[in-house]
Amino acid sequence: MRLACVFVPQLALQSVLRREPESRGYAIALFDHADSSAPRTPASPHARVIAATEEARRGGVRNGMTGAQAAAACPTLRKVCATPADVATAQAALGDLGFAFAPRIDQSGVEQGRIFFEIGDLERLYPEGEAAITQALQARAARLGLGVRVAIASSKGIARVATRARELAVVPRGGERGFLAPLPIGVLLDEQVDGDKTKPRGRGSDAPPSDAGAALKRWGIATVGALAMLPAAEVALRLGPAGTRVHRLATGVDEEPFVPQLPADALEEETELDYAIYEIEPLSFVLRGLCDRALARLACRSLACAGITLRLKLDPRGLDVREILIAAPTREPATLLELVRLDLARRPPDAGVVGVALIALPARVRSTQLDFLRPAGPAPDRLAATLARLAALVGPENVGAPQAPNTWREEAIAVAPYSAAGASRAPEPSARSALAVRRFRPAQEIEVLMGRDGPTALRGSETTARVLIAAGPYRIRGEWWRPPEEDGDFARDYWDVHASDGAVYRLHQDSRSGRWFLDGYYD
Amino acid sequence: MSRAAVKLEPELAAQLVTAERLADRQGHCPTGVGTIDCLLGGGWPRGALSELCGRRSSGRTSVLMASLAASLGAGHATALIDADGMLDPRGAAAAGVPLDQLLWVRAGGRQALRATDLLIGAGGFGLVVLDLGEESTRIPSAAWMRLKHAAERQRTAVIIAAPRRTVGAFARSAIDLLAGRPLFDGAGPPLLVAIQTAVEVRRHRRTNDVAPTRTNLIVKADRGRPWESDDLTRNPQRVPNLPLTRNPQRVPNLRR
Repeated sequence: MRLACVFVPQLALQSVLRREPESRGYAIALFDHADSSAPRTPASPHARVIAATEEARRGGVRNGMTGAQAAAACPTLRKVCATPADVATAQAALGDLGFAFAPRIDQSGVEQGRIFFEIGDLERLYPEGEAAITQALQARAARLGLGVRVAIASSKGIARVATRARELAVVPRGGERGFLAPLPIGVLLDEQVDGDKTKPRGRGSDAPPSDAGAALKRWGIATVGALAMLPAAEVALRLGPAGTRVHRLATGVDEEPFVPQLPADALEEETELDYAIYEIEPLSFVLRGLCDRALARLACRSLACAGITLRLKLDPRGLDVREILIAAPTREPATLLELVRLDLARRPPDAGVVGVALIALPARVRSTQLDFLRPAGPAPDRLAATLARLAALVGPENVGAPQAPNTWREEAIAVAPYSAAGASRAPEPSARSALAVRRFRPAQEIEVLMGRDGPTALRGSETTARVLIAAGPYRIRGEWWRPPEEDGDFARDYWDVHASDGAVYRLHQDSRSGRWFLDGYYD
Repeated sequence: MSRAAVKLEPELAAQLVTAERLADRQGHCPTGVGTIDCLLGGGWPRGALSELCGRRSSGRTSVLMASLAASLGAGHATALIDADGMLDPRGAAAAGVPLDQLLWVRAGGRQALRATDLLIGAGGFGLVVLDLGEESTRIPSAAWMRLKHAAERQRTAVIIAAPRRTVGAFARSAIDLLAGRPLFDGAGPPLLVAIQTAVEVRRHRRTNDVAPTRTNLIVKADRGRPWESDDLTRNPQRVPNLPLTRNPQRVPNLRR
């Protein structure tokens, strides 16, 4: 089994850069916040640098510096803090990168910023070799706003060590020991290479404890190959289980199991704001970033967004959760943003917003089989994008396939989702009646002058005319099982009248209230 | 293999057409009304704007429904942009429109134009109908120009239905439905059976002249033969109109 390991160095810093892509290329330092109750701001005197960009390091910024020290070393330094939401979404985005290449990945919770997955089938897609796979992974990660190190090996432990040694590494089958031998012993000490002190240590971390590292240094063991030459029993006697594990790894032996995980049902992008936002316009900028990042993650897996749940964290407390319908799966950020804006404009939040989470429901845009004898319809992805745009333009309730609900109410109409597949199906022949009716929605209330044989004149906002011929009444009663107050029981007398304005109207009198309504006209 | 080919042959034969007919079919989208198809030389032209005008009860919506049914029947993706939201789904289904295959967009004003533009631009639609309803808002020429170019690019037949002509020179074909006359069955109590209207071709590329081509058309409410050209009017005794004796000469004051 060949495994790929994708590692994001300085995950917390990269998560901030992913949220603020315009900050790339500048001197940025990430500060921790010792006091969890205090606001997350790098201005705190206790805050220390825990990660920095290459530009900041060139300016003299080092881990452990206070804000004042870092600013003195690099005057153009920008200080940032990462929220747990930032780190979690970056980690989830890394998971999506894995799911773009494999159906299952190993993303153990204790080891942030690292995933493993099997690449067995990818060799057919990349016949150039495994080096091409590492390059493709790195390129795809860059699209998600993540800079990654990639290694391919036959076991998790070897692949993990290889990511520490090189940015892109391929450990050949059976050549693990040869690959590891010239590497410095420091590659087994993950902190020295990763430079991210925020990572928790756990089972996945195979670095020996500091005393074992110090012992190895004291023995003069400088390379992994030198460690592998030592007798295993003697290393175990002196360094214990941790030393045994590292020694086995140095000899190219690793039994760490691959724990496969399936993708989540929905993906979430979340951000926390420094201050409450009360207007839709500034909130749109935040939402735009969320939509962009969510769709980039979906596009990475060749998926589209079929629905959105927006969770707004309100100031000072409370949540506003709303579901936004999408007529068809889409990959267009502008369309999603427009739908969200429309929903927010329709139902503004009750208080200021201090946090936004966008949960996108993934869906696959399916391709359709073309028919040899029937014309090709619209391309499924373009149709989906168009439907979503239309829904954003006129509202999702106004786009779809019309339906006649199962009721005797003539004015009833419903809208069902439009499917491209239906458009390529041959229609069933049905009985024909050419005379169509155009219906006023809602029906217009009118005044009607009744004669002996029916209406003789009518007046309303749509027309004022005398009646030349009246046909009717056609009596309809229905939904007697529901009370009239709930739009249930109704009884109507319908008339078709030829009015003096030339039109043939369809009108009815409500038998209960005696009021007249103009339903529409034959056309 | 040969047995399968023999079995397939009659099915294919029903679908296969000559190259000449295929070219003609690709060039037009049938209206669903034989009389109008004859006037337009096959139907609504593809890759162009067409205009269908008519006032209330002129049969405009009935012709639209027939066109939608014909387009969907030919397997084309078809969309209706309904500016007034006045579609009657039961009537459309009775006219032969498979509702689950029709894309219906309820949008008024400029949104309707934008929706039309989006749908044509999506490509793959055989027929897009913009039903402006009874709106009389003035639409700038640039909007028609844009739709015209989009229709040409995508080879989509676009029908703009309105009470009066609005597209002007940007339409390749224009049909006017003149004021309709309802026909009631007078054997017993009056029963609406049809609307008689006159079709006038105002503009058509093939003739490209202003001289109108006119014919009568009867839109029937029954489920037999829905469209007839003249036979009801030639035999008036079949559908006698009721005498208009009980019509008041002026609209009475209902507020009294």
